Amino acid sequence: MSTTDPARTDLGFTDPDPRRGGPLDRLPAIVIPVVSVLLAFAIGGILIWLQGVNPFQAYYVLFSNALGTTEGLLRVMQKSTPLILTGLAVTVGLRAGLFNIGAQGQLLVAALGTAWAGYNFQMPMVLHIPVALVFGMLCGAAWASIAGALRAYRSVSEVITTIMLNSIAIALVDYLASEPFKEPDQPLTRTPEIAPTAMLPTFGIVPSGFLIAIVVAIVFGWLLSRTTQGFRFNTVGLNPSAARYAGISVKGTILLAMAVSGALAGMGGAIETLGVTGRFEPAFNAGLGFDGITIALLARANPIATIPAAILIGTLRSGAAALQFQTGIEPEVVDVILAITLLLVSAPIVARLLFRKRNIKQTQVTQGWGS
Amino acid sequence: MRARYAYALAIIIGIAIVVCFFLDEIRTVSVLSFSLRYAVPLILAAMVGIVCERSGVINIGIEGQMLMSAFAGFFGAAVTGNLILGTLIGIGTGMIMGAFLATGAVTWKMDQIIAGTVINILAVGLTSFFYVQGQVLPGNTPIVAIPLLSDIPLAGPVLFNNGLFTYAAVAIPLILWVLLFKTRWGLRTRAVGEKPSAADTSGVGVDPMRFWNVTIAGALAGMAGAYLAIEAAGTFERGFTAGRGFTALAIMIFGAWNPIGALAAAFFFGLTQGLASQLQADEVIAIPQQFINMLPYVLTIVLLAVVSGRIKPPSAVGRPYEKD
Amino acid sequence: MHRKIALAAVAAASAVVLAACGGSGGGSSSSSAAGGQGDCPGADAFCIGLVTDTGKVDDKSFNQSAWEGALEAASATGGYAKYVETVDPKDYENNINQFIQAQYDVIVTVGFLMGEASIAAAKANPNVQFIGVDQFQGEEIPNLTGLVFPEDKAGYAAGYLAGLMTKTGKIGAVLGTDTVPPVKLFGEGYKAGALAANPSVEVTLVYHAPDNAFNDPEWGAAEAKKQLAQGADIIFGAGGNTGNGALIEIAKAPGAGESIFCIGVDTDQFFTVPQAATCLLTSAEKKLTLGTRTLIEQAQAGTRKGGNYFGLTGLAPYHDTEAAVPDDVKAKVAEVIAGLDAGTIMTNVTL
Repeated sequence: MSTTDPARTDLGFTDPDPRRGGPLDRLPAIVIPVVSVLLAFAIGGILIWLQGVNPFQAYYVLFSNALGTTEGLLRVMQKSTPLILTGLAVTVGLRAGLFNIGAQGQLLVAALGTAWAGYNFQMPMVLHIPVALVFGMLCGAAWASIAGALRAYRSVSEVITTIMLNSIAIALVDYLASEPFKEPDQPLTRTPEIAPTAMLPTFGIVPSGFLIAIVVAIVFGWLLSRTTQGFRFNTVGLNPSAARYAGISVKGTILLAMAVSGALAGMGGAIETLGVTGRFEPAFNAGLGFDGITIALLARANPIATIPAAILIGTLRSGAAALQFQTGIEPEVVDVILAITLLLVSAPIVARLLFRKRNIKQTQVTQGWGS
Repeated sequence: MRARYAYALAIIIGIAIVVCFFLDEIRTVSVLSFSLRYAVPLILAAMVGIVCERSGVINIGIEGQMLMSAFAGFFGAAVTGNLILGTLIGIGTGMIMGAFLATGAVTWKMDQIIAGTVINILAVGLTSFFYVQGQVLPGNTPIVAIPLLSDIPLAGPVLFNNGLFTYAAVAIPLILWVLLFKTRWGLRTRAVGEKPSAADTSGVGVDPMRFWNVTIAGALAGMAGAYLAIEAAGTFERGFTAGRGFTALAIMIFGAWNPIGALAAAFFFGLTQGLASQLQADEVIAIPQQFINMLPYVLTIVLLAVVSGRIKPPSAVGRPYEKD
Repeated sequence: MHRKIALAAVAAASAVVLAACGGSGGGSSSSSAAGGQGDCPGADAFCIGLVTDTGKVDDKSFNQSAWEGALEAASATGGYAKYVETVDPKDYENNINQFIQAQYDVIVTVGFLMGEASIAAAKANPNVQFIGVDQFQGEEIPNLTGLVFPEDKAGYAAGYLAGLMTKTGKIGAVLGTDTVPPVKLFGEGYKAGALAANPSVEVTLVYHAPDNAFNDPEWGAAEAKKQLAQGADIIFGAGGNTGNGALIEIAKAPGAGESIFCIGVDTDQFFTVPQAATCLLTSAEKKLTLGTRTLIEQAQAGTRKGGNYFGLTGLAPYHDTEAAVPDDVKAKVAEVIAGLDAGTIMTNVTL
């Protein structure tokens, strides 16, 4: 794994600063995703048309319901929030050469921990929200650190451990929410409702959790591109042996990256609990961590880009119900559009069509299995 | 895993199985059959991963490849009324999905994990969107008892009284091991996955090699999917692969990218699943079922943590090859 | 106070406008009640909306049964029915609201997870009638009826039959996850019924792990085969597709329908899982379709009451295995079902 490996000199995320380079160099970075999304909608439109529905009407319904009403906007923001954070969680891992498939498990453990802190503690709001939030993040970080420590000290691939830890987490929270932390005198598997002092407020129509997620994404954009710690992450991710020669503690960096990744996924779960569900109920957190992988890849491991990627997915998922209500199109069409978008953003098809360059080098986001 | 630990573990498990067999023949045989059955799709899917990664291409889309193949295989069999045709359609679909990954990851030099993820999402969306209810397979796949061998105590009923896919799933890793380590194809494949530039210099076409290997591996994913829908579950449901494609990745790493290692790892994982369900059925220990259900995953992690050495992936895995 | 009324008037007016827009934009709003397309034709029509739990309307399980009930009610009342499938449980409220805004008369919400969303919607919209399938009502809300079933009774009857029918003295069950109340009630009821029929019978209950608990047919099949190998001759499959996998597997076993049987759940699975017809002794039925239909019809007639409506449970017809069940067994089982309904037989199953 030499530093001169040609495939690695052009990593998309080593230089996320758009201010370097001229405007023409920046152009593809914006035009390609936009054109890809439009093309994906066109292909999705064909699918819709095959079902006997006018695609223009279908998309009008989808977007007007998701973005045209205040409730719709609120839901889009609520849905995007955990997606931004799990997307960031996967991104931080990828930067440090780790593939964290376990965001789902970390999110679940954190959502439960947050709920426990939310109903168990009694304190004023200014304390309760941060305490519950931090407690949840710590739960997520701790859960991820199992995989981090095994990777750092025992060289066990985090891919295996996070897959296994996902299954363990699902069983664990199911047990905890059905036995010790269960809301008494009712049959459902769920915790009691959190105290009102722990509920995240909504400013106008903007949930505070959404604002937190945006700020965190921006902070991580800065952290990963401008700070020494970010440099360490990137170096360990790109070339651990070079990092070792440069005096960076590879083990420490892996541990830290995994913990931070878990804390971010955990924050996603915590905000879900404090801002949306108000308690822990296993079914309400399904799939959020796995969407994080899609978002990190769609955003090409760029923290800032997780924001639009998450909002896109949030909008599609939010509008899908109205789409079915008014046109009868099944909500799974969203997955098809999403997959095509990811393909077009990542494959050279659009770039070749638009810029007529044959030899556009593909950016690599992920790093194999590390080692 | 260090080889001597692996052998020691295998011997301990083997002795335990024989002891159990003498204590309770029926339970032992049925739990082992369960384990093997649980392992079959994991073995086939892990082979997909091994062929791809030994060639230098990560295939995280195995889950999606299996789901698409199971869908095509099931509905193919139901519509044509022919199980063999359905199986072939499933395997063919797997190859198409393999070629899809190869085109993205090799020809276009896309990020490999992204290419695989596209397959996963696309498979969920398409199979769910086009699913129709009420289709039924035209019949069942036969169970073939191998004469003489099936009469051996313990091994006979477990290993030699199965469906054809199961025999294939046990045979393919052995064949693949020979192919990978004893043939020219294997040498080239490994060269392409370890040192593509050296392979290139010595006249092996890196990209064509990778492309065809990934495509052919897709056929194995097709088999895994066809097995699930046609021989095992006898039905297709949305998302019914239930994460087996991801577990197979873990099995592949567990087995150190070695087909026989992965075969053993998959069987071990199946065994833990069998034990978990048997512990629950017999109500041996009074602990909540969730903890029993965690057992396979906890055991796998503990085992890896205790005995892990450095398991190294093929060194060029995940990186598209570009000529200097 | 005036302000509130004004606001309500504006909301109502905008709802009418919205509904009108929807109606004109819907295009093919034919009067056919079969599809999920088009829209409620207007305020004069009797419109039934159904929100599924996460999952699809063709799940061969409770979503499908409830939807069939809605369709039957629509054709019986000359009304119009439409569904929306929930993908994310956080959308329950929004999905219900779509029907409210389109001025549907009755909204059926399926699944106990939607209980709270139904209560909130019912309280906010006193003029809309709600039917909550599998949602037990702790307090009575006049415009919301919980359609609930004593699953333990159905399980008990199935177990009683199994206890009488078993030749090996061993019976089994392949179940979803035990943290879902109806599943546990079915399973424990089955066990209690079998022991009541035959105290020496050995009953094995195995639950799937919580992830993919209801969508892992291959695990269900493998588990069923293991239980058969260990001597069980009757197996109850209760857990969505996982349980269905068990049924399909048992139908493949030698002796299926003669010495080896399976028991389905929720609906008469003779129709929903035809592959299992050969071994299917009966199904521990929740008459969900009938209950949904009855409540919708009551809603139209104005006779529906708030609180809980206890739907019927029972055993589905024997179908292909009719000849395999001795007449005295049939008689005893019928007696037990009658006793369960009358309350003279208690299952003594609690969660």
